[in-house]
Amino acid sequence: MGAALTADRIQFAFTIMFHYLFPIGTMGLAPFVAWYTLRALRTQDALYDRAARFWARIFAVNFAIGVVTGIPMEFQFGTNWALFSERTGAVVGQPLAMEGIFAFFLESVFLGVFLYGRNAVSRRLHAASAILVWLGSWLSGFLIVVVDAWMQHPVGYALASDGHILLTNLGAVLLSPFAWWQFLHALTGAVLTGGFLMAGVGAYYLLARRQERYGRLFLYTGIVVAFAFSVFAIFPTGDRNGDDVTAYQPAKLAAMEGLFHSQMGAPLAIIGMPDTASQTLIDPIAVPDLLSFLAYGNFRANVQGISTYPVADRPPVAVTYYAYHIMVGLGTIFLGLTTLALVLWRLGWLERSRWLLWLLMLAMPFPYIANEAGWVTTEVGRQPWIVYGVMRTSDAASANVVGAEAIFTIVGFVGMYFLLGLLFILLVLREIGIGPDAQHAGPQLAEVAP
Amino acid sequence: MIVVAFIVLALMLGTYVLLDGYDLGVGTIHLFVTRTDAERAATIASIGPFWNGNEVWLIAAGGTLFGLFPLVYASSFSGFYLPFMVVLWLLMFRGIALELRGHYASELWHQFFDVTFAVASALLALLFGVALGNVVRGVPLDAQHYFKGTFAFLLNPYAVGVGLLAVLALAMHGAAWVALRVEGAPAERAARALRIVWPIVLLFTLALTYATFRVHSPWPNLLAMPWIALAPLASAVGLLGVAVLREQPRRTFAASSLFLAGLLASAAATLFPYLLPGFPVAEHGLSVYTATVPPATLATMLPVIIIGIAIVGAYRAFVAGRLDRGSRGSA
Repeated sequence: MGAALTADRIQFAFTIMFHYLFPIGTMGLAPFVAWYTLRALRTQDALYDRAARFWARIFAVNFAIGVVTGIPMEFQFGTNWALFSERTGAVVGQPLAMEGIFAFFLESVFLGVFLYGRNAVSRRLHAASAILVWLGSWLSGFLIVVVDAWMQHPVGYALASDGHILLTNLGAVLLSPFAWWQFLHALTGAVLTGGFLMAGVGAYYLLARRQERYGRLFLYTGIVVAFAFSVFAIFPTGDRNGDDVTAYQPAKLAAMEGLFHSQMGAPLAIIGMPDTASQTLIDPIAVPDLLSFLAYGNFRANVQGISTYPVADRPPVAVTYYAYHIMVGLGTIFLGLTTLALVLWRLGWLERSRWLLWLLMLAMPFPYIANEAGWVTTEVGRQPWIVYGVMRTSDAASANVVGAEAIFTIVGFVGMYFLLGLLFILLVLREIGIGPDAQHAGPQLAEVAP
Repeated sequence: MIVVAFIVLALMLGTYVLLDGYDLGVGTIHLFVTRTDAERAATIASIGPFWNGNEVWLIAAGGTLFGLFPLVYASSFSGFYLPFMVVLWLLMFRGIALELRGHYASELWHQFFDVTFAVASALLALLFGVALGNVVRGVPLDAQHYFKGTFAFLLNPYAVGVGLLAVLALAMHGAAWVALRVEGAPAERAARALRIVWPIVLLFTLALTYATFRVHSPWPNLLAMPWIALAPLASAVGLLGVAVLREQPRRTFAASSLFLAGLLASAAATLFPYLLPGFPVAEHGLSVYTATVPPATLATMLPVIIIGIAIVGAYRAFVAGRLDRGSRGSA
């Protein structure tokens, strides 16, 4: 049981973290593709049309890998987490069913129209397809975050005498404020990533002195959006998520902040290494009283430390702490970098500041890291619960799947995802290399029919 | 209401087989009905805008099974652990083969993905058939309704027979699609392939119908609900249609769809009320009456699911019509 549980957790963590790289791109790039497509329709300017096609090609590769790595996520609830599925299916199964029916169909059917139908359907329907793909990708994100948010903060349910969880109020599950703020924060992370990708590719074209009209367009669109969403990531969405954790998951808060012992006027650690053995934060740089203020609006408020919880109820401190600090640290850097870019733009110095273009280009992977770190904070900090306060992760795995089987399939997934990752990088770099100005639009229906 | 839930689920899975069935069929036969890179590109482009939406029927059906029959979802997915994982990997290969093929103008790149597409499609059809065969035959559930699907148990002659029938029937369906939707030489070759494939499909169907009476007798359901005999009848009419309507691709494809729909309806009618019958005794299995969520949840979710599917059906039909008209108009 122990070996199987560990293997099941490793497999889920690996497949979800790999998979999530692609929904970030889909949710983050869909609005840009739709925006350029609409601009092209309005202005009849080939610049926007080419820009839309360029990002649509990258979006398509991203979407393809996202789809094929997404199916294992739904399957794994049943294959590796059968006891979780059996007990909570009456609640968790509903948003998942709705995601398939309301979001995935919308996304895939209209992406088919958008990619293949350029010459086959009217331009208005083509542009409408881009908007519907965008809507589908965000709706899908919302419904899956509803599932996660319910696992973090279960609402709208009742516990049956045999331990099964019954749905009492679907509306409460779908409209849970916890879920909405979590979704908005995750979505903000995705759009911020989209903005940094735009700005980074634009900076690359300007640095390389090619495709410069497009480089400029992408750079300016990118930094405006990346700045706006860097702010939005901190306030209000990050702030509200912090409030929810403080109110409903205080043990997670303590782990995030590396606070081992309860304290009035708890400090906010900027740097420091949590050591579980000695129950201390080693070599910290901390702002006195600030954590108490951020959590409770009072510099002298008491914040519960990890040591106040029974050992069996404590989340892993080190992973939660580092993941959270990586996210917050990067978020701060994103705000600084985009603010600087905006200031230099207003002064008219941005395109001459090659050092900043370099920084924007090299910044591209970091929003991905920040997104992943945020999810690690959320999910590892939720442990040892799979449904917070209701069901433990150790009671959730399939009893009829042994560790050896899960190890076998982990090996398979690692090999498969290595191949997918290589193909993704190869194809995206190739598209960037070809650039928006080239006349190549992928397969077309009308070119095919003789 | 529970019967409605069973029908909704069966319809979603049936729609998946009819729609993604032609994608898998095109994959299985495309190397046999094409000679050049351009012909393969045209054949694959004929399913290009549709295959992903078709695959969503499987995902949506999985989600619906999870929401309406969590115990069946948990038991079947964990019991068929390794086969399901192999299905996942094959779906990945099939998906990237279709989506990434066109991103590189190199024949070697295309050849790699064409063969990947063919092998993955044929194996997927085989595995889906083996899974259906085992579901009809039943699985050895324990007191908690779980089981361990070892390969030695799952690869029994009946299930493998259903798997082979699935490969052949979907290859026929795919050939009917190519004959209908691709112009020129591939369509002619696909029409010739149909003439070879349908008699083999007929033989397999007859043999497996006989075998089904041995492993999970439809008689009790047939006697209780004689009208379900319409399902195998429809199937027979469909196969006959494929045989005689060869010169009319639109009708051949409709006949092939009717054949598949009839087969699946027959399987569903045989299974009812079981979703996962026991082995060797069906009664120990999971039926719609023992494995569902409470009636209040069904009453909430069924309308949501049914309205959702109706909306999907409407825009899917609209989009297919527009793409169809557009590609014809510019021809």
